[in-house]
Amino acid sequence: MEFFKKTLDPVIALSVIAVADIFLFLLVGAWTVGGGETMMTGLVAKFFMGDALGSIPFWQLVFVPDAGYWKIYISLGMLFGGIVGAVMSKEFFLRFPRRLSEWVMITIGGLLMGIGIRLAFVCNVSTFFGLTPQLNMGGYLAISGIIAGAWVGSMIYKKSLGM
Amino acid sequence: MSVIGECLVAFLFGSIVGLLVQRSRFCNTAALRDAILFKTYRNTKALLVAMMILTIGFTGFMTIGEGKPMRFDVGLNQIVGLFLFGIGMVLAGACTVSTWVKAGEGNFGAVWALLFTFIGMFLFSLFWSFLYWPPAPEAMTGNFNLETLQLGYANAETLQESTGIPAIVFGLIQFFVLYVIFRKIQQKEANPKTVTS
Repeated sequence: MEFFKKTLDPVIALSVIAVADIFLFLLVGAWTVGGGETMMTGLVAKFFMGDALGSIPFWQLVFVPDAGYWKIYISLGMLFGGIVGAVMSKEFFLRFPRRLSEWVMITIGGLLMGIGIRLAFVCNVSTFFGLTPQLNMGGYLAISGIIAGAWVGSMIYKKSLGM
Repeated sequence: MSVIGECLVAFLFGSIVGLLVQRSRFCNTAALRDAILFKTYRNTKALLVAMMILTIGFTGFMTIGEGKPMRFDVGLNQIVGLFLFGIGMVLAGACTVSTWVKAGEGNFGAVWALLFTFIGMFLFSLFWSFLYWPPAPEAMTGNFNLETLQLGYANAETLQESTGIPAIVFGLIQFFVLYVIFRKIQQKEANPKTVTS
């Protein structure tokens, strides 16, 4: 199948995703990832900690672990779509970061993403594909933050590459 | 819609996104990082086109009172939070979308980034439980609140209510701004600076 042989133009891909996102907005709400990831964190924490998780106010007042939270399934769908695309196009294979510095950067990067999402209540997806197209003030605040952060991150990345 | 219906719709949407992102190699991190570092705009243009379509779609439906817009107060925490996120996504080499998609391709680095995103969220939950800031959405009033560094809540819907001008008009203005940026990028690509020896 041609679709799995050639790389798709991202403008076409994102246009289709945008139209699908409008339907999602009408049915349940706009595309977001951070909320679903937070709920997954809560569910995993509850699995390991049991009722002790209830002693942490965040998981009582902000995110009460609930497997029926629809945003979780967007992330699981993306994982599934990624697997299908990779397998069908014969691009699935195990890859590991090679250098210690890569492991360190990914670890710090992951932690900052998690802390940043919860501090802001939004992620990059809800910033660009939810809040800003709804002309939400939070979208403009978040865009200014993410561009500044991406610039600082890029300078660190550039230095790490010795550019 | 039932809970199961919502979850099925979300899974279907996510699957479409995952497949298209995998086939197009789109990445939000690259949309910003590559524009800043390498002056290449393949992903940036796609991001802008999606935002243009969404702006018209969302504000169009909000004009007639349809759709489910996000409603919670915003403030300083959005700037600081996404600033940290912006640094993190460049260091991790993936955003919230591409971590899931790359994980599906067998990229263990993406799985590791996801794991530490979850750990970061859990660490923040401990921090929040000590400070109670930013306030939980349920406690937000929608009004300016200096004490909690919240500016309140405003979007196309509130603009329409306060001005009487249809939300789509404001959407068209934003569409035009995004289109101008898109055209500037296209012109820059069409006329790259020539290097003379």
